[in-house]
Amino acid sequence: MTIKFVAALAVSLATISFQSRADVIKVGVIAPMSGPFSVVGQTWEGATKAYQKLNGTTVGKHTIEVVYRDLPEINPAQAKALAQELILKEGAQYIAGLYFTPDTLAVAALAQEAKVPVVIFNASTSSLLDKSDFLLRTSYTLPQMAVPVAKYALEKNVRNVVTLVSDFGPGLDAEKSFTTAFVGGGGKLLEAIRAPLKTTDFGPLMQRVKALKPDALYVFAPGGPSTYALVKAYNEAGLRTAGVRFLGTAETDEDQLRAIGPDLLGIETGMFYSATHNSALNNALIKAFGEVAPKAIPTVQLANAYDGLHVIYRMVQATDGQRDGVKALASARGYAWESPRGPVKIDPASREFVQNVYMRVVEKDPSGRFVNREFRTFEMQPDYGRTQNASK
Amino acid sequence: MNTVTAPRAVPAPSRARPWMQLRGELVLLLVGLLAFVLFPQDLGLLTNMATMSIFALSLSLVLGQAGIATLGQAALYGSGAYVAGWTALYLTADPIAGLLLGGLGGGVIAVLSGAVMLRSTKLTLVMLTIAVAQLLLELANWARWLTGGDDGLAGFNIAPLFGIWEFSFLSYTGYFYALGALVLVYFLLRNLVESPFGLTAKAIRQDPGRVQALGGRVYLHLLAVYTVGGIVAGLAGALTAQTSKVANLFMLDFSTSAGVVVMIVLGGTRRLSGAVLGTVAYMTIHHIASTLNPYHWLFIIGSMLIVVLIVLPEGLIGLFDRAVAYARQPRRSGVAR
Amino acid sequence: MSLSLLSSILIDGIAYAMILFMITVGLSMTMGLMRVVNLAHGAFAMLGGFFAATIPQRLGVPAWLGFLLAIALVGLVALLFERILLRRFYGRDDLDQMLVTIGLMFLATAAVNLMFGSTVTSVALPELFNGTVDLGFRSIPRHRLIVVGCGLVVVCVLWLAVDRSSFGIRVRAAVDNAPIARAIGIDTTKIYAATFVMGAALAALGGIAGAELLPMESTYASKYLVILLAVVAVGGNGNLFGSFFAALLLGIVETSMKYMVPQLASAAFFLTMIIVLLVRPQGLFGRHA
Repeated sequence: MTIKFVAALAVSLATISFQSRADVIKVGVIAPMSGPFSVVGQTWEGATKAYQKLNGTTVGKHTIEVVYRDLPEINPAQAKALAQELILKEGAQYIAGLYFTPDTLAVAALAQEAKVPVVIFNASTSSLLDKSDFLLRTSYTLPQMAVPVAKYALEKNVRNVVTLVSDFGPGLDAEKSFTTAFVGGGGKLLEAIRAPLKTTDFGPLMQRVKALKPDALYVFAPGGPSTYALVKAYNEAGLRTAGVRFLGTAETDEDQLRAIGPDLLGIETGMFYSATHNSALNNALIKAFGEVAPKAIPTVQLANAYDGLHVIYRMVQATDGQRDGVKALASARGYAWESPRGPVKIDPASREFVQNVYMRVVEKDPSGRFVNREFRTFEMQPDYGRTQNASK
Repeated sequence: MNTVTAPRAVPAPSRARPWMQLRGELVLLLVGLLAFVLFPQDLGLLTNMATMSIFALSLSLVLGQAGIATLGQAALYGSGAYVAGWTALYLTADPIAGLLLGGLGGGVIAVLSGAVMLRSTKLTLVMLTIAVAQLLLELANWARWLTGGDDGLAGFNIAPLFGIWEFSFLSYTGYFYALGALVLVYFLLRNLVESPFGLTAKAIRQDPGRVQALGGRVYLHLLAVYTVGGIVAGLAGALTAQTSKVANLFMLDFSTSAGVVVMIVLGGTRRLSGAVLGTVAYMTIHHIASTLNPYHWLFIIGSMLIVVLIVLPEGLIGLFDRAVAYARQPRRSGVAR
Repeated sequence: MSLSLLSSILIDGIAYAMILFMITVGLSMTMGLMRVVNLAHGAFAMLGGFFAATIPQRLGVPAWLGFLLAIALVGLVALLFERILLRRFYGRDDLDQMLVTIGLMFLATAAVNLMFGSTVTSVALPELFNGTVDLGFRSIPRHRLIVVGCGLVVVCVLWLAVDRSSFGIRVRAAVDNAPIARAIGIDTTKIYAATFVMGAALAALGGIAGAELLPMESTYASKYLVILLAVVAVGGNGNLFGSFFAALLLGIVETSMKYMVPQLASAAFFLTMIIVLLVRPQGLFGRHA
């Protein structure tokens, strides 16, 4: 098996000019560049360009080249074909990107066989990292975000809560982790509402919430029209004035702030990155990002891709540009660095991504823009999806 | 002006030159081998083309030959994929077993849903096929413990083909597996279409009333065709799941059904070879366009669809036919076609 | 079931139904009167919404004028499409007609993606529409009441203009037997164009009115296509009241499930459609094909 791989790779590499001194190391990013999620692809592309602008395009005597391939929707067969093409045809040493879990699963099987490191820029299911020894992730998982939000709710004397999530993987993960942490801390769950993914009319659901009179409403909806409709319905049902706190996660990401605006004011979310996070590194990144990709939006995907490429740079350095998946992964385990989002670390045992989670509230800044202001930090949160499962 | 050319007499398959009979299959095989030699690094894409072609063939049979208006073929494709996944997870990792069971799964769903739906026609039928596919999708999403929900069904391994050839990420085995299945399915379907069974189906498409009047049982015949289509779609789904090692909800989605309809229209709805040609053309153009500029794919496919519909109503295969007819003309001087 | 729950279901269900009705009535008319399956209908609604979102600011006109201009612009697009492309397909297969409209849908989606990006675009409603109305046991957003009113107005206007007018008679004549209609002097070309444009304009109106419930984004056209087709199929092609009652039925069924068992709301919608179509394949009010 390995012999076949090496032979095939030798044939492929023979077609790429071999410079024994300085060489080009390719990173293949599988991203949604077209279609409904093209915003993500654009942000990733801008992020990697910004990273290379700030940190240079070389590691030692190796030049890092980032190559993109379009995967606009969930299509595991296509994901696998693209990863294969990137490895065999482009000679990519590292695969990155991957927005959806099923696509990541297909690539994971490939990575395990080919021993190629894969850095996940988004797909957030906890169990993904178990599918291959060569997977890393620089995004987040829902349990990682949900547990601090539950803790925050308990701190604020929220006694009972209603959860309202979209009926799909991340939504259910969020519901489960939040509830376990909240109820475990003494809170009461009044009801768990699950809305079909295609729901665009949250009016009836909000009426139901109102009738239950909880102290807080914990929400998870994917970005775009669902979040838009949900937030509008929350306001229209008068839940804010009735004193029902809105607790969320990804609902106030930068693109939502721009699309929805005033309806989001006062909403509190627990998330790992805000474009207005006040650190020197982040400020420099936002500036560089605005220069290389003026039309792209600095959502959390900016931080994801930035950190992903950073880990790859580290792995290139550790292997001195040689193909050695095992050595690369070993160098990533335990690696800690300063990210635009704050301090981050890759757990040495489980490879999970450990980071701060911030409670933020949506406000208007002096120039009239809507921003997430971070006001409470939960430091170095692990992936609770693992710990909660382990303790069962 | 229809895409249906005037009904012409289909010549009975001659026994004189059997290898000429097989020319479609031979071309497929040769092109497949050539592709392997020319594009060894694109085998992932080529494997997907082969599995999608099988899916397109199933739709070509159902829609192109029998005229059953369906925008829900993905339901059968996805069912096959999940059944193949469950087979590999719980029964046996043998690929052939998974493949056959996947086909069976597609066939079962087809016969069950078809029995209910096929009493209706045209728009009602289209809506019913969409609704059934949608319901199946909701059901699969709800039964997360069985299907993995929107995360997908994964973690299964496929045993070596015939115990000899392992499936590696290089896709050598995967590609020939899919190609072999494609050639075999094409052979079987072509024979089916040229048989009295297939001719009846075509007749039903053109005028169901007449067939009924002649004593044919339209409903049962359509159900049979739909079931065969379901089996083939299930085979395609099983192949996809086995070669990519993931089965997921999107395979049941409306846009998957719509996508394959576009593919057979591009190639030519009335011919089985059109289905394969359309799929290959669509996926090749998608691949090239994607690498050049992914942002404008929808413009390209939208324009292409409209242009083909206006300029080439018989699809790309029509172009090929015209070329062949033109090439043949000088030898048949004096004989009107 | 408590009274307040019942009234909540009715209020929200009717509002949702009115939006569905306004968007689909044009499609039902085109399909019934012209026998063309226009899968790009959702694209007209989408374009209406997007134009309405941008025209008021771009031209600096008040919102209602901007909306009228948006609707007119969509009508123009529809006219061009009908004249240049769709006409060639009137004699062709149903499938080919469907496909050329799918092609249009792709193009419209790509155009919107290019011009407006792929995030949600909100349509700024006039001040009059904002705010809530307190009904005692619950408050309802004002724009929902306005949507219900709108829907009722549209039904009445269409009933008078199409079912009862000479235009409507001519349209039905053209549909029932085009050659004979032409023989007695009815200009079928103009009628087809007028009907198609009217259908598209109604879709645009529905899209704008419904932009709060069905937010505007680049995948709008394909996303809601299935729902739109479902309403038309259940109502029966070409029937004004069919469309109205189908929208009410499906809208109220889905809304009541949202109140009672939210997870099954979408499934209930499709199950209702299947049941109606199996019992009455031609739709609630449709004529036998």
